[in-house]
Amino acid sequence: MTIRPFRLSVLTLSLFIPAALCAVVLFLVIYSGQAILFNGLHFITDINWNLGDLYDDPVTVNGISVPSGANYGIWVFIAGTLASSTIAILIAVPLSVGAAIFLAEAVSPKIRPILSLLVELIAVIPSVVFGLWGIAVLVPFISHYLSPTGNGYGLLAASIVLALMITPIIASTLLDALMQVPRENRESAFALGATHFEVVAKAMMPMVRTTLVGGIVLALGRALGETMAVLMVSGGGINILPDSLFSPISTIASFVVSQLDSAQADPTNMSVRALSEVALVLFVITLAVNAAAKLLASGALNVRNRK
Amino acid sequence: MSQNCNRNPVAIVTLFNYCQDHAGRSRYLTGFSTQGHHIRNAHVKFSTTLRRTGVAALAIASLAGFTGQAHAQVDVPLVESGSSLLYPLFNLWVAGYTADHPSADITTTSTGSGAGIAQSIKGLINIGASDAYLSDTVVKKNPTMLSIPLAISSQAINYNLPGITNLKLSGPILAGIYEGKITQWNDPAIAAANPGVNLPGHVIIPVHRLDGSGDTFIFTQYLSASDAGWGSTIKFGTAVSWPAVSGGIGANGNSGMVTAAAANPYSIAYIGVSFADQAAKAGLGAAELKNKAGNYVLPTEDTISEAASSVANSTPADERVSIVYSAGANAYPIVIYEYAIVNSSQKAPAVAEAIRTFLSWAITEGNDQSYLKQVHFLPLPATVQALSAAQINKIQ
Repeated sequence: MTIRPFRLSVLTLSLFIPAALCAVVLFLVIYSGQAILFNGLHFITDINWNLGDLYDDPVTVNGISVPSGANYGIWVFIAGTLASSTIAILIAVPLSVGAAIFLAEAVSPKIRPILSLLVELIAVIPSVVFGLWGIAVLVPFISHYLSPTGNGYGLLAASIVLALMITPIIASTLLDALMQVPRENRESAFALGATHFEVVAKAMMPMVRTTLVGGIVLALGRALGETMAVLMVSGGGINILPDSLFSPISTIASFVVSQLDSAQADPTNMSVRALSEVALVLFVITLAVNAAAKLLASGALNVRNRK
Repeated sequence: MSQNCNRNPVAIVTLFNYCQDHAGRSRYLTGFSTQGHHIRNAHVKFSTTLRRTGVAALAIASLAGFTGQAHAQVDVPLVESGSSLLYPLFNLWVAGYTADHPSADITTTSTGSGAGIAQSIKGLINIGASDAYLSDTVVKKNPTMLSIPLAISSQAINYNLPGITNLKLSGPILAGIYEGKITQWNDPAIAAANPGVNLPGHVIIPVHRLDGSGDTFIFTQYLSASDAGWGSTIKFGTAVSWPAVSGGIGANGNSGMVTAAAANPYSIAYIGVSFADQAAKAGLGAAELKNKAGNYVLPTEDTISEAASSVANSTPADERVSIVYSAGANAYPIVIYEYAIVNSSQKAPAVAEAIRTFLSWAITEGNDQSYLKQVHFLPLPATVQALSAAQINKIQ
């Protein structure tokens, strides 16, 4: 057997990526182990989050030392994450489908590259810029014109900011797929007497449905994990489930950031372990979303593969 | 197809990344191989530039090493990290201190009080900055850790009430608002404290800090000290389990508190005095608070120093004490020592000496108005300064 230096070096490098992923997951599981034992299933069904009294003597529960009064329940944050991401998708999908069809069908080929570049540029704007725009423009707008209580921070503001961030992801993947539709299909539909709308709706959209679903799931992954922009406009709801579009919410990612500093002052370290468990839950949710994306894109629901 | 190849290379790189991240969709983008070619060309150019930059960097590094030897008399480098409230003051201090001690090498970072405490205990940094003193449990576990007051800070209760500038509030009223028991501005409890003020019949929007904060620590300490219900259930901390108040919002940082209070009419917020100018500019009023003696006082230099001097003699030797809600006819109730969290047993005598010299300077010359005035802090009373000096001398 001959030694192949190139293959070996590339293999070593490529192993780093799965190794890093495994290391992160292992760390999260091991580090949050005690918190998982302490919290049990209440962790994801309880709505009360309390770091406990960090300045009092810790108490021992089932052999685990925790701050007195500590209770970790994250249902509020799971609900906030899912609600804001779902509303963001509901806003972003019509916008981005419209934008992609406009760019693919209604714009002259000369201007198309410029406009599609503009759409893609939105995807590279740092999230903190969206957050600042949210605070400076969106929140006062909601506060003055929409909200019955005069409170602009909350679910609606977070969802709109998220929707803006994910629109270019869906639009650019969809535009690309629309450009790949064979010219023959399009022209045959026109030749059969279809209107322009019918060509797009009945001949082109069915061919790109899988890409559209993949793009949506990809965007959902981004929305679920977004931290900074959400933290700035969500209103940071804690211990209360959102009951309207104007309720303050917290998402899992933004909540971890906001609590970490106080958790570090916990002498028993249980607060940081509980936050690791929160991160683990977020990881499982995004993993499920990505697995779904993989499944959809691999052709399980691909219309074109049907014979 | 042809249109697809004409697309801007930047856009193609972006797309390329998306597709690599989520493999499986790449087959829909069949124009790939030609686009990949551009990327490879770009890469060759890039690596050439990289090599040139590397040579330049090496040259600079060797030059720096050479000049470095000329300045052999450099102090031990110190790292300060922690409280974002203390950070602006530390920056002023380091600039002033370096002017007097040209060989000093101090790095300051703003990471939050909790991080400052945790990293100082682990020995990752030399000085942890914190708005809160170490708890008994932490001191029991780490008996060599010291909490050394460096200056005095305070906090205002700000409100956004159109047309009202003279609001009076007390601990129990604030506890009621943040617990969701007092929900309207014209609630009888608020009206009783403000005779003659035309209070609006509007829902109160309480604003609290989202992030862990020394301001939350002293605000909840004031509520715990003045309201028995709050003191037995929610207690105090840099982040507490805020009761569910419909419409109550969380904001990020003191600047976020100012923005949130300004953007939401009929809101109420607690904001550190360093941000008093911004709060006033945003049109927010500062409330007169009921102190232990029963008088309503505004956060001014006089009322804050009266609070500080009233607790100066009762401050214990380890200086871990709350100075919130102190006695004194005109003492402002929300006042706090700003702490340096330092390990008294340092690894090397030279490091200990560098920390001692800097902290001693901070509580003497550093307590000068020229530094403190810029961030609205107040100097330590003489007795507390002596206690801090005694603690600093323990660092070995």
